[in-house]
Formats: sequence, structure tokens, C-alpha cells
Amino acid sequence: MSTWDSPTDEPTRERVRRTQVSLAGLHPVGRRLPLGAYLRELARYRAFIAFEARSRLLTANRGMILGNAWLVGRPLIDGATYFLFFGVILQASRGMANYPGFLIIGVFLFAFTASSMRAGLGAMTGGRNLLRAFAFPRAVVPLSMALRETLNQIPALVSMAVMLIVLPPHALPRWSWLLVPGVVVLATLFNSGLVLFLARLTSHVPDLSVVIGMITRLLVYGSGVMFSLDRFITHPQWLAVLTLNPVYVILDLARQLLLDGIIPPVHQWALLGVWAVGSLVVGFVYFWAGEEGYGRD
Amino acid sequence: MTEPAGPRDALRPTVVVDSVSVNYVVRSESGHRRRRLFAGSGSTEVIHALQKVSLVVNAGEVVGIVGQNGSGKSTLLRIIAGLETPASGQVYAVGSPILLGVNAALIPELSGRDNVTLGLLAMGMSRAEIAEATPDVLSLAGIGRAINRPMKTYSSGMGARLRFAIAAAAHPEILLIDEALGTGDAASKGRSAERIEQLREHAGTVFLVSHAAQTIEESCSRAVWLHDGAIIDDGPAPDVARTYRWWAWCVAKGEHARAEQVLADRRAAWVPVQVVSRPERRDRSAAIVRRERS
Repeated sequence: MSTWDSPTDEPTRERVRRTQVSLAGLHPVGRRLPLGAYLRELARYRAFIAFEARSRLLTANRGMILGNAWLVGRPLIDGATYFLFFGVILQASRGMANYPGFLIIGVFLFAFTASSMRAGLGAMTGGRNLLRAFAFPRAVVPLSMALRETLNQIPALVSMAVMLIVLPPHALPRWSWLLVPGVVVLATLFNSGLVLFLARLTSHVPDLSVVIGMITRLLVYGSGVMFSLDRFITHPQWLAVLTLNPVYVILDLARQLLLDGIIPPVHQWALLGVWAVGSLVVGFVYFWAGEEGYGRD
Repeated sequence: MTEPAGPRDALRPTVVVDSVSVNYVVRSESGHRRRRLFAGSGSTEVIHALQKVSLVVNAGEVVGIVGQNGSGKSTLLRIIAGLETPASGQVYAVGSPILLGVNAALIPELSGRDNVTLGLLAMGMSRAEIAEATPDVLSLAGIGRAINRPMKTYSSGMGARLRFAIAAAAHPEILLIDEALGTGDAASKGRSAERIEQLREHAGTVFLVSHAAQTIEESCSRAVWLHDGAIIDDGPAPDVARTYRWWAWCVAKGEHARAEQVLADRRAAWVPVQVVSRPERRDRSAAIVRRERS
């Protein structure tokens, strides 16, 4: 081993060359910035985040013959499958006037959160090459992922609206549909926070991705994706807890607006607003606190 | 930058590496072949990738880093670039050092032109700066109309030229080149070599990592030899490169005793640097960097 790098190993000879340096004009490299400066630095990279997310989304289907037609085609096939099984074969109504519509809204909006969670799980390993080449704030990588998932939802949500109109029993556009983008914006904020949170969590403990998969499955049942919560859950405490769940609130708001033509009560909007802002703030601060540990071997 | 320009401007430090150590903990499977329930319960080994490395580099220097595989060359570069945080010690630098490795941000399915935009954005340039820099990048890359084709259709030479042109466009004050990243071959040829020279003249500092002592000798003013994560030589590029070549030749020929002797001689002669931060506004007439043997 090297004995020569430590002056104490050879007490008889001073084994070090003292070099005086003025650090004026130099700044520490590779240290985490304070939150405010971090946000400003992150803002400098907003064009990169947008361009990267868009480019990766638009090139993902390059190998396919139909190319980007799949951005719409995939959700259409998904929705058609559910309609075929539940609407045509089972003719399920679950006591609802428009069960196929209920199911399609549930499946599509749940897919937004589920795919964001998956994106968060793989964000730091998938972005490893980027992290090893550029010294930008590390939040660039998960935020680009979150934006890609959001952009991916736009064609999916348009096909969802088309299916609601086309498939019987038809849900026709009403004024209340104009508020749906508000739900999507709140869902986007909530999901972005989730991506940031899961990105850090699984970059340190990759094993947690197994647990997260289980949580996703629980969320399917606990958010009323396929059935109405109050019809199957009779225990009032459990029902109260589950209706606070953000994914349930997202689905319920969208269903009221799209199927029932009702403007949802203010307390539900406020609840989702708290979840959205809370998720983003907690996710961001948690991710930022781990800034120095990403992209290592 | 903040120091007044003057005759000592040539000794303006741009990179100060202060006693940096980097450790990697890896799982070791040597020893018993017993099956373990948990992967983590096996013995772990700590690899000292860098051990108390100190280095002061001034404006205008082109520093070559030589050393065998696994000696810590690429790790040192990543630490200087701020891509990894050392276990102890600190790097100080002027501006944002840029590692010539934009290939990481590029998307093979995207056209060369869009990749130029993507690469420049990744280095933190604004849209306006990109619009201004793009014509230069295209002419330096010199790949003509192929710029509109997806990058995955490029030959490796064309790809390397484009990557180098993108990285050089950021006008970094500190440019880090790792030959292992596949951009070095392009960097050492023709127009690209001229560009490195230009960057250096812009009071820039260039670091070049290479296995080939020849490359270091030809293109660097100073060379640093890393062995097992520690510096064992630092001086004018021809001197360091020649010793390193002699050692590498001995290793290649299987003359291990001789190779060990070269290392032992180097270690005996080498005096490590200790960085002492000089308080500012004191004794401005003193040299910016003063080396003294105590």
C-alpha cells in the first residue's frame, strides 16, 4: 500500500509539499445547492426537460410500422378490450347507468398514476448515463420522466373522450367537461411529486420496487377503478379512509364531470389540491436532500 | 476571473483538487461458495478509487492523466466534473467543468440536428445561445447533409465528430476529455485538435485521460500519473509520459521486478501536494501559487 501519501508514516522526513492557493473566483464543485439556488439552476434546464421528454416520447415508436399512431392506438385498444369484456360479453352494469364509461375513466386515469409510479421506480437507473455525463441538478432526470408520462397521457385522454362518446351508452359532451383539464393538471402535479419521491426511494433501496408493485395493485382495489367503493365497502370507517385517497378523488372528480354532468363539491377539489401540492413539495424536498448520492456505482 | 489580469495571470488556478478520496463498496464473492440467503450478507470490500489526491491546475494548462486500467483516471475526471461527490475532500473550480461525453444525452433515433439541440440544452445553454452556436457545431462536425438523418445511421467516425463538436460548442473554461468515452479519437485529429488548441488559448484548462502515453506526450503540457488511486508523478508531459511508458513496457513484457523498481523509484521521489487555502487580500504581490518545500 501507499505509505508515501501520509506524512505521519515517515516521521523523519516531511513528505508533503505545501501549495498555497487563492480560492478567489473558484467555487466548490459537486455540492448540493441550497433549495432556492437549486430551483433557479433547475429553471435554467427547463428547455432541456421539455425537449428531452418530447423527443424520447416521439422516438419511442420509431421501430413500429405505424409509428406514432400507436400513441393513440394503444389506449384505444386498451379501452376497446375492457368494453368488449365488460360491456359486450358480461353486460355488467353494477347498478350504474353507464358502467363501460365508469370503467374506461377508471382504467385510463389510473394508468396515468400507475405509469408515473413505474417511471419513478426506474428513473435514476434509466438516467444513469445522463447523470454520469452532466452536472445539472439531478431533478432534471425524474422531472423529464414525469413530463414524458404527462405528454403520453394527452393522446390517451383524447381517445378516452372519443370512446365515451362513441361507445354505448353514449356520454355526450356537456359544459362540465370543460373542468376535466383542471383534474388532469392536479393529477399531473400529484404524479410528478410521486415520481420524484419514488426516484430517490428506489435509487437507494432498489428492493423497494417490489413493494411498490404491491401498493399499485392495492390502489387498483382501493381507488374504485373497476367498481364503486360505496357499493362494496360497507364498513363506514374504511370507506371514509378510502375516499380520502388521492387516486380515488381523481377518478371520482372525472366521473362526476364526464358521466354525471355534475360540478363536484368544493371540498373534493380542495382535497385533491392539498394532495397535489403536498406530494410535489414533499417529493421535491426529499429528492433534493439526496442530491449528492445519485448516479454512483 | 476576479483576480486582476497581470503577468501572473498565467498562474491563475482554475481547478484545485484538495485531498479527495473516493471509495466504492462492492460485494465480494470470493471465499466460501456457500449459498447465501441475502446477497447483502456476503463479505464486502472497499475499493479506494482515489486516495487523498491533491492537484492544483492553472489556466492554460493541458493536463494528461495516465495510468493503467482501474487506477482512478476516469473517477478523478468525474469528480472534477462534479458528477460524483467524494467521500472526503473537495474540488474547487472556475465555472462549470464539462466532461466530453454528450453521447449520453443523445438519442440515436433523433436526427443529428435535433441531437445538436438536445446536447447543447443538456449543457445548460439557452435557446438563443444554441441558435448562435449551431452553425459552428455543424461546420466543425463536417457531416454535411447527413445532419438531417437519424444519428444511428452515422458511422462511428461521424458520430464521434458530432459529439466532439457539440461538447466544444459550450466554450467551457474547463474541458474534460476521457478517451474511454469514444470521443478522444476524434479529438486528436485535424479540426478537432485545432479546436482543443483554441479552447486552451481561451485561458481554458483541458484534462485528457488516455492509456496512450504517446497521445499525452503530443497534446499535453503537463501529465499526472495515477497508480492505485494515488498520484505518483506530476510534471512536464514528456518526462512523466516517458517514465510511465517505460513502466508499462516492463509490465507488458512480464518484467515485473523491473516494473516494481520503476514504481518504487517514483514513489521515493514523489512528494505529495498539500493544498493550503491562502487568505484573500493578503500579500497580493505573492505568487498566486507558491510552491515551497518545507
